[in-house]
Amino acid sequence: MSVRILVLAVACVVLAASTAPALTLRDMLGRDVILPAPPVRIVSLVPSVTEIVFSLGAQERLVGRTDFCDYPAAVKGKPSVGGMVNPSLETLVALRPDLVVATNEGNREETIQQLERLRIPTYLVHANRIAETVDLIERVGALTGRQAEVPRLTGEMLRRIEAIRRAVAPFPRPRVLYVLWPDPLIVPGRASMLTELIDVAGGTSITAGDGDAYPRFSLEAAVARAPEVIILADHSTGTSTAGRSSPEKWQQLASVPAIRAGRLHSADLSLLHRYGPRVPAGLEMLARMIHPEAFR
Amino acid sequence: MSAGRRLALALGVLSLALLVVGALSLFVGSAGLSPAAVARALAGRAGAESVESVVTLQLRLPRVAAAALAGGALAVAGVAFQGLTRNPLAEPAVLGVSSGAAFGVVLAQIFGLGLSVLQALGVAVFAFAGALLAAGAVYLIARVPGGLSIQTLLLAGVIVGIFFTSAITVLISIVDFNRLGGVVHWLLGNLAPIPPASLALFALLALVGFWLILRSARELNLLALGEEAAVQLGVNAARLKQRVFVAAALLTGTVVAFTGPIGFVGLVVPHMLRGVLGQDNRLLVPTALVAGGIFLLAADTLARNVVAPAELSVGVITSFCGAPFFVYLLRTRYRASL
Amino acid sequence: MNLVEFDGVAFAYPLPERRRSGGFSMAGVSFAIAEGEVFGVIGPNSAGKTTLLRLLTRVVAVDRGAVRVDGRPVGRLAHAELARQIAVVPQDTPRPFPFSVEQLVLMGRYPHAPGRFFESEADRVQADAAMEATGVRHLAALPLEQLSGGERQRAMLARALAQQPRLLVLDEPTSHLDLRYQAETAALLQQVNAERGMTVLLVSHDLGLAAEVCDRLLLLDGGRVARVGPPAEVLQREILEAVFGCAVVVDVNPKSGRPVVQVAWPAARERRQSGRP
Repeated sequence: MSVRILVLAVACVVLAASTAPALTLRDMLGRDVILPAPPVRIVSLVPSVTEIVFSLGAQERLVGRTDFCDYPAAVKGKPSVGGMVNPSLETLVALRPDLVVATNEGNREETIQQLERLRIPTYLVHANRIAETVDLIERVGALTGRQAEVPRLTGEMLRRIEAIRRAVAPFPRPRVLYVLWPDPLIVPGRASMLTELIDVAGGTSITAGDGDAYPRFSLEAAVARAPEVIILADHSTGTSTAGRSSPEKWQQLASVPAIRAGRLHSADLSLLHRYGPRVPAGLEMLARMIHPEAFR
Repeated sequence: MSAGRRLALALGVLSLALLVVGALSLFVGSAGLSPAAVARALAGRAGAESVESVVTLQLRLPRVAAAALAGGALAVAGVAFQGLTRNPLAEPAVLGVSSGAAFGVVLAQIFGLGLSVLQALGVAVFAFAGALLAAGAVYLIARVPGGLSIQTLLLAGVIVGIFFTSAITVLISIVDFNRLGGVVHWLLGNLAPIPPASLALFALLALVGFWLILRSARELNLLALGEEAAVQLGVNAARLKQRVFVAAALLTGTVVAFTGPIGFVGLVVPHMLRGVLGQDNRLLVPTALVAGGIFLLAADTLARNVVAPAELSVGVITSFCGAPFFVYLLRTRYRASL
Repeated sequence: MNLVEFDGVAFAYPLPERRRSGGFSMAGVSFAIAEGEVFGVIGPNSAGKTTLLRLLTRVVAVDRGAVRVDGRPVGRLAHAELARQIAVVPQDTPRPFPFSVEQLVLMGRYPHAPGRFFESEADRVQADAAMEATGVRHLAALPLEQLSGGERQRAMLARALAQQPRLLVLDEPTSHLDLRYQAETAALLQQVNAERGMTVLLVSHDLGLAAEVCDRLLLLDGGRVARVGPPAEVLQREILEAVFGCAVVVDVNPKSGRPVVQVAWPAARERRQSGRP
């Protein structure tokens, strides 16, 4: 008699478990991602997302990252699955993730397809606006069950951004040329968050007319638009000079107002190339270059 | 020893080697699985959702199969093309077909056909379209009354290859910054686990190409006498050249479609085989199918383990091994005739 | 009985090749080769000797007229079947040629079983016999490229013999050989003709060889038949001078009774004395 009750009880539990409502999420590309339960083993293929996870204090749910995930330093303690373009699927699978976060701007479509074939739920993100970055932080908070931390983080971000906006408001907006890569000349277009950031920092990007995110641009056209501030992103690291911004090449362009006024800046602006909680810090750097007078 | 017996012996040895290398590749990988775990997965005794099952059966096994197929196809295409052009330095890529196929794929990636469209059509279709375009162009340029002109074929292949490579460079120069890494990565040639349906298609196409060339192996030998002499011996030279060209293009296009352009296999493997077996295409073609598989499989196993967890592109390994080996060949074997 | 018949054959190379052949064309060529005879084709360069061979072996097709082998037009015969009737020893050995002598000779067995992948034991026996006949059997395992000019020629001949043809065609067989091998080749041709009853077609600009070895000659001039018949009838001073465009002297070989043709060289001493260049 008791055996029969036991069997019945087990059957009920099994039934209940199998009909438990799965989590249906919609990712930032509008895809539906179905999970059986909130994810506790997340692999992040996006450095910005890795950063956000740590900022929210959710790092125990992170089981894997890429070689490019370098902030904060504690990230080193998490196993890497390789590059963003060519992660090792084996290593990824061996980590037994229940969710992979990827981006369509940086990870390959093939990788995403492979993950789908392996039936590993994949959540896609991208952020080309400050508003989207805030949205991203909210979503990561929801995914990791750290919703409570989100308002503090995003509130702080938005406060700092607003402060910068107010500080530069009284001043006339100079024409700004932002050089992401000097040769070939790659600049931010309308679809890049950098354009919005330049705007918030009190400047007008001369390359905002182009719809793409990171179009090629001709040096002639840049010179013709007479930028008043030129900002060079320097990609060289401490030991390597590859990706150096070579400011001396720009010094020769004597007709450009920025050169005549000595307003050529070269700095490590990688803070601006991520979308996460450090955006305000990068924005402050940018604003100081465009409106030094606002921050004396 | 008669030619038939030599072939049987060579195939026996090579097949054994392929099995050994294949088995080893299954046991090695960045997931750090123990040999026992892999064995369990292979025997079907591990759970379907377990890590060892997924890694061994869904990742490593298809990749090993793809490597063996692609390597075999490229090596056979190399033998065929070298026999056809009577030039031991001819490579399948010289046909221009790899560049055409690569162009098709890059085009698809650039115009960022949304995820769903690409899934539906598959990158492979674009690769085939490009390969067909290039092969067709080469064929039309080299066509003379009576068949194909071999000299023109070589030149046409080089020109068409250069054209498509330039076209790819143009595409790369306008590609969205974010996609650039992916496109460049593909162009290096990579082996990735291919789903079973695609793998079956790959195998079918490769075997069709292989069969066409195997049938032509004896006639390819006769072609070494010169085209006129071959005709006078009873060979239908026009149809032979067409058949071999189409088969070599099919093999090359198929490999590029599924793995991206991988160089040097079609050059290195036939040469190594010639050193041991001699010039008879009847021995070279079947052994190339197996030896090519071993070569690419070994290269790929190296590529995915040497800097784990990052993965090198297999095309990089074959070029790095291929180039110095080639210099060695040129200095030793061909010095005599220079 | 005629093994080969050319009947009113006309031919011109299509446009792309014309620049190589200098606007060459052939017209009204008619002659026959009887079974068992040694037939020679002679004439100046670009008279059409090589074209004749190509028409015979169906490398190119006639524009008008017919080429018949054993009564059947060559266009109707399959390539392999024609190869069983006719074997050609070309002028030059192919380069590069990475095979051994034995592999070369075995290639001659292809027309007898084109569908086979490997040669049969019977094929190997035939190849052996052919190599024995031309004296290259001891070189069987060597790569062809390592042989001397004369040995290479004999290996190529062995390949043709292995084909077991009814007609053996030799295109300029002595052009690269020194005197000893020229004599050996002539002896071999006669032996093959006598012992095996093989019809031989010889294309040569070596008039001495042609005169001695051939039963009948065909003199070609600019794609037309100038004369056909026994050597004594064809190798006559007037017609030779007309066709070749230079002065010749025709003697008779006392041993064989065959004509001997020589170019009439201008005398060196006379030139020097008169101060003319």
